[in-house]
Amino acid sequence: MSYRFLPHTGDVAVELVAPDEAGLRAAGIDALRELLVGTSPVREVVERPIAPQGRDAGEQLVRFLEEALYLYDAEGFVPARGSAAGVLGEPFDPARHTPAGEVKAVTYHQAAVRRDAAGLHVTVVFDV
Amino acid sequence: MSRGGEPRGAVDASSRVERIDAYRWRVPRRGGMRTEGLIFADQELMAGLVDDQAIEQVANVAHLPGIVGPSIAMPDIHWGYGFPIGGVAAFDASDGVVSPGGVGYDINCGVRLLATPLGIADVRPRLAALMDALFAAIPSGVGAARSDVKLSRPDLDGVLRDGARWAVARGYGRDGDLEAIEANGTLPDAEAASVSDRAKERGKSQLGTVGSGNHFVEVGYVAERFDERAADRLGLAPGIVTIFIHSGSRGLGYQVCDDSLQAMLAAADRYNITLPDKQLCCAPLHSPEGRHYWGAMNAAANYAFANRQMMAHYARGAVAQVLGQTAAEGTRLVYDVCHNIAKHETHDVAGRPRRLCVHRKGATRAFPPRHPDLAPQFRDLGQPVLIPGDMGRCSYVLLGTDGAYRETFGSSCHGAGRRLSRHRAKQLARSRNIPRELEAQGILVRAATRATVDEEMPEAYKDVTRVVDVVHAAGIGRKVAQLKPIGVVKG
Repeated sequence: MSYRFLPHTGDVAVELVAPDEAGLRAAGIDALRELLVGTSPVREVVERPIAPQGRDAGEQLVRFLEEALYLYDAEGFVPARGSAAGVLGEPFDPARHTPAGEVKAVTYHQAAVRRDAAGLHVTVVFDV
Repeated sequence: MSRGGEPRGAVDASSRVERIDAYRWRVPRRGGMRTEGLIFADQELMAGLVDDQAIEQVANVAHLPGIVGPSIAMPDIHWGYGFPIGGVAAFDASDGVVSPGGVGYDINCGVRLLATPLGIADVRPRLAALMDALFAAIPSGVGAARSDVKLSRPDLDGVLRDGARWAVARGYGRDGDLEAIEANGTLPDAEAASVSDRAKERGKSQLGTVGSGNHFVEVGYVAERFDERAADRLGLAPGIVTIFIHSGSRGLGYQVCDDSLQAMLAAADRYNITLPDKQLCCAPLHSPEGRHYWGAMNAAANYAFANRQMMAHYARGAVAQVLGQTAAEGTRLVYDVCHNIAKHETHDVAGRPRRLCVHRKGATRAFPPRHPDLAPQFRDLGQPVLIPGDMGRCSYVLLGTDGAYRETFGSSCHGAGRRLSRHRAKQLARSRNIPRELEAQGILVRAATRATVDEEMPEAYKDVTRVVDVVHAAGIGRKVAQLKPIGVVKG
């Protein structure tokens, strides 16, 4: 399971690679956490459930990450790690969490999951 | 699209353009395109596009049902998601579509320009204090919120319904401000009830905040005038100090867009709409999904108008605190434009007036002189078009033209356009101190984080002078004045 940032002029593109869809969600949370709070350590204090939504694997991943972003933006819940049922994390603490940048949204642009010998791949573009 | 998963009909990344003249390029119709693309650029700007997907995105927009005329891109075009940034597309108002991706997440992101009565020589000695006051008065940065503005739900509904008019009625500005705002700062089709509770939750404490990313408050001065009569009419005397405010509808707008994308993706099959990029998803204007988005989008746009109105009020407060009450009272609104919006407008198409829904994503309305939608004070000039550049070089004030009305559905560019990714900009800035470099040029920076300043370093953007020169030479805007920065507040 991994993520890497790709060149994108206007926004931020991330390639996620994982053996399965749960791994893609976890990699997506790792990327989102880096965009939101950089390398600030985030504890796994609370699990917030996120119900699967969307017509295919790509849409489901975008909706999952969008929900995690909403929890951060509206409720100050900082994601630490993707879990089987949702996302683990803790409330934002300005003493320990340094905002790294604003993420406006998770887009559907290019978000089609494809499989090859290495597993599942998807590119997610974040509007920043 | 260069990556997998796109339906047949998509134009691949090897698409190239055909040169029409020195400033125009055609994207030929192919695959599932319903029309051709038209890009405004000179040779050098076009050369900067060939390695990314911006040209392909112009072609992808041409797939949308009901598109009228070409899929257009301005000289500040750069790679976005769905629509390119700098994109303009018009759809028939009766049987066309509306696309939330054609407006963007930051609905009615726009720019407002204030002109103080003071010259740079008067302000320079107090500039540091003015920047400190602006930084304190207008919250910036990630998740910026105001503790002094608590909106009840009826208040928020009032903002969504009345926009800048709501703010002025509560003392945030003057009646005269409204005449200098596109659409007088209130879009009448707003439906507060179409804005979800989640969107309202995200927006309830962010009114009067600038946010992060490429948003800013910038102090500058009139450095050069290209049309003295027009500059005088706009209050842009030589050396006069100005304040630019760039922001939009904040988290409320982002959520409105996201809510609508979800609804339109789900409805795509029902309307038999297949597109090369899901982010272009759309619905017929008169469908339930289209009407719902229209009401919510206009409401979010009104939130943005109120947001910039309140920030202008706080900026006047900072001017009063540092430069005196007389200076604040003499600080007048030059104009306020939207550059992420869709609007119903009438344009001549094949010699006949036609009602259209014009999407501008990173493009500015640029109506010509005599257009009836302009406020009386601008009727003989044309619409002011505000073009901020990067924080190290300059910005421009233009006017709308007949050429823009004929060729681009009355649209012009919106900024310099990014050249480098944020990641690359941060890499380049790592060993440098960008605020210190700018200070050495006489530009003071106040920022919530270093990361934003690094991402927004001047080299991250195209040269706005080149972009504006293309606009001027192509006749889709007319240069009035150049402004140079002396201070900037970043998120």
